[in-house]
Amino acid sequence: MILSPFALELGLGALMLIVFGATLFARGEDRGHIGWIAMFGVLILTALAMTLEPAPAALGGAFVLDGLAIFAKRLFLAATVIGLLGGLDLQQPILRRRRGEYHLLILASLLGMLVLASARDVIVLFLAFELMSIPLYVLAGFVKRDETSVEAALKFFLVGSVSSAVMAYGLSFVYGATRTTSFDGIARAFAASDPFVMLGLLAAFTGFGFKIAAFPFHMWVPDTYEAAVTPFVAWLSVAPKAAGFVALFRLYFEGMGERVVFWAPVVAALATITIVAGNLMALPQQNAKRLLAYSGIAHIGYMLVGVAAATAAGTAMVLFYLVAYVFGNMGAFLVVDAVARAEGSEHLAAFRGLAQRSPLLALAMLLFLLSLGGIPFVAGFWAKLYVFWAAAQQGLYWLVLVGAVLTVVALFYYLLVAKRMYIEPPERPGRLALAPTLRLAVILCVVGVVVLGLYPKPVVTAALRVATPLF
Amino acid sequence: MMPYLSIITWAPFVGALLIMFTARHRPLLVRLIAVATTLVPAALSILVYVRYDREAAGFQFYEKVTLVPPLGISYELGVDGMSLLMVLLTSIIIVGGVFASWTITMRSQEFYALLLALVTGVYGVFVSLDLFVFFLFYELAVLPMYLLIGIWGSSGEVRPRGIFAWAYRETGVGTKEYAAMKLTLYLLFGSAFILVGIFALYVHAGASSFSFVAFEGTTFDPTVQRLVFFLFYIGFGILAGIWPLHTWSPDGHASAPTAVSMLHAGVLMKLGAYGVVRVGMGLLPDGASDLAWLVGLIACINVVYGALSAMAQTDLKYVIAYSSVSHMGLVMLGAATLTAAGLNGSVFQMFAHGVMTGLFFALVGLVYEKAHSREIFRMGGFGRVMPGIATAFTHFSARGAPIARGGSSPPSSARS
Repeated sequence: MILSPFALELGLGALMLIVFGATLFARGEDRGHIGWIAMFGVLILTALAMTLEPAPAALGGAFVLDGLAIFAKRLFLAATVIGLLGGLDLQQPILRRRRGEYHLLILASLLGMLVLASARDVIVLFLAFELMSIPLYVLAGFVKRDETSVEAALKFFLVGSVSSAVMAYGLSFVYGATRTTSFDGIARAFAASDPFVMLGLLAAFTGFGFKIAAFPFHMWVPDTYEAAVTPFVAWLSVAPKAAGFVALFRLYFEGMGERVVFWAPVVAALATITIVAGNLMALPQQNAKRLLAYSGIAHIGYMLVGVAAATAAGTAMVLFYLVAYVFGNMGAFLVVDAVARAEGSEHLAAFRGLAQRSPLLALAMLLFLLSLGGIPFVAGFWAKLYVFWAAAQQGLYWLVLVGAVLTVVALFYYLLVAKRMYIEPPERPGRLALAPTLRLAVILCVVGVVVLGLYPKPVVTAALRVATPLF
Repeated sequence: MMPYLSIITWAPFVGALLIMFTARHRPLLVRLIAVATTLVPAALSILVYVRYDREAAGFQFYEKVTLVPPLGISYELGVDGMSLLMVLLTSIIIVGGVFASWTITMRSQEFYALLLALVTGVYGVFVSLDLFVFFLFYELAVLPMYLLIGIWGSSGEVRPRGIFAWAYRETGVGTKEYAAMKLTLYLLFGSAFILVGIFALYVHAGASSFSFVAFEGTTFDPTVQRLVFFLFYIGFGILAGIWPLHTWSPDGHASAPTAVSMLHAGVLMKLGAYGVVRVGMGLLPDGASDLAWLVGLIACINVVYGALSAMAQTDLKYVIAYSSVSHMGLVMLGAATLTAAGLNGSVFQMFAHGVMTGLFFALVGLVYEKAHSREIFRMGGFGRVMPGIATAFTHFSARGAPIARGGSSPPSSARS
């Protein structure tokens, strides 16, 4: 099908207008229908994204719709569908009243991601980054009468702004040295080893580090995750990270040719420290969301292992990892949400005896945890395996060993949750009530994790196909 | 020809699925399915044992299906003399194990399903010739263990004493949850090393497959051989209980339910030794001969340290578990000689010790069921109450004596 390269973005803009209109005309306390409109709208856009074909670059090469962009956009849209579906039944008063704002902000951030996946120009990149990030700050502090929520939003906002500033500063160096804002021009200048370009890109890399929450730049993650609304956090923990990685591939890998290995040691060091720190800091956590926050940091480290390989295979495996991570991590957060809604607590103790109170939720959580831990027959295993394989091909055995050994640490804290669910007796009897939409969202994630675990080939080949032209 | 090895491997798994989906709340049916799906592989493994062509040797009953072509992963099965014995051993132990856990009533459906899935993993490891599939089966053999020990295990009567008492109390040493976690983490830690080793082989061979046969034809660079052999030695060695990485084994074996102890001490520890011999020494002969001194030295420590530790225990299951550590030392010592006689002794010791330890744990299970204690000093007059079992104990305890089967293997390990 031949459509304008902006079809998705235009469609999303139209959807935002519809949601906005529905908010204007909504009356009464409960505005649940707005959520349904947004969810179905994104679902239709996802279907549209599945039919997209690569198109030639638009806006003088600043906006491309190549294989990588399409792959990324599908991923963002699918993640958003699951995130919105999981949040449809949220009953907190503030969400019931302000559902319109909540969904508009999520859609605005999604628009930023869609543009970001296509950006091949520094200005577009920066604008898309900001369009993606600013609604996230607001969403993090959405429960505005709650002190922790405001604190988390402020922390997130300050760290995010600083990272944007550093990135803009670095990119200004790059512009000063190359006199161009297009990625092609930057790649050519990089091939000539201009020191200013390298310095600028290195500084911009710090900005990327903040966006994807790699180790020294991770401070906002646990607090923000703990305080914000859980279905939003589920989405926050995967979609913006994925967008950050895609932008990183575009700026640092695309068209760089042989010189791309320049980044390998930097990324390998960052990956090592992120894996080690994320896993070790997750160990003492007693709050399920904080646990997943730190484990998420470790997962970013594993993805950086694939980036450190700096090959087409490595890039493709990171894309596959992102897909597996979307299902596994979102699923885990949604189960936490389900348990927290029923028990009124996000403490790990709330999981005690879950296997008897809700076998479905317990089994789903077990699968998600095994997937996050990288155990065979679920998606996460192939994800870890493939990034390790890509790194091993480049001779980074020590990095693979560090990653594989720390997987064991990760399994320790994942298995502690499994122990609470399956081995310890429940604190109170009775089955656990589960909202139907949330159940559907969890089941979608289970299907994703299991299908990818048993048959990863289609996604892997698709990822390889879209990653190869970058090099 | 019938795919005997596939049937042997997958029959228990089919049993596990049947149990999960059909036999809900029907304990007798659960047990019957379990018996049937373990007897089938047992019968077939005897058949394979008889039909194996001893003159031709090498890998027989070969099967191959390509799975993931771009990476060269294929489902490739075959047995040689060594894996043949191990398959037979597994069959013997698991049939015994199913009967030994006949009295489990709590959540028996899940118990048998997990146990059978675990057995598929064990068979799979012994028969697969593709290193990658080998690794998958290995993980399948480790993971159900966590739930099996954590839910159906028994906590020992270990009372923390001494200067580390507080640490023991904090971590819960002696409880089944502690043992389950420790065992799982140790074995997965080992598997991390194995995975890196397999990758290193794959990349260095420039191979387009993970097939054992293809790797066998490649000669690796000596430095690579040393490093990779070391990785495999650590990885599989943890499972074989090499000192000082053996501490999961006493805790795990003591806390596990009877059938799992039998399977674990009887078969899974051999799987570690099998891995070192088959993958480590088979593919990396130069690395193995360079590091044979290390393997031998550690094996000696194992023998002595395991035996001395066993003497100090008062819990019957810990005694057997530590003696297993000691016996695995003998197995590794035989392997470290890198001679035909040593390897023969080592394999024979694996089989003999596997059968005996399995039976031993079964006996302890019976005693525990009647007496609800594993403390040796509370078993006075035991010979009068249960004469048969007491005699059996005395007999198996004499495993070093020439009449019992284990007797002939230590000398043959030691001779070379």
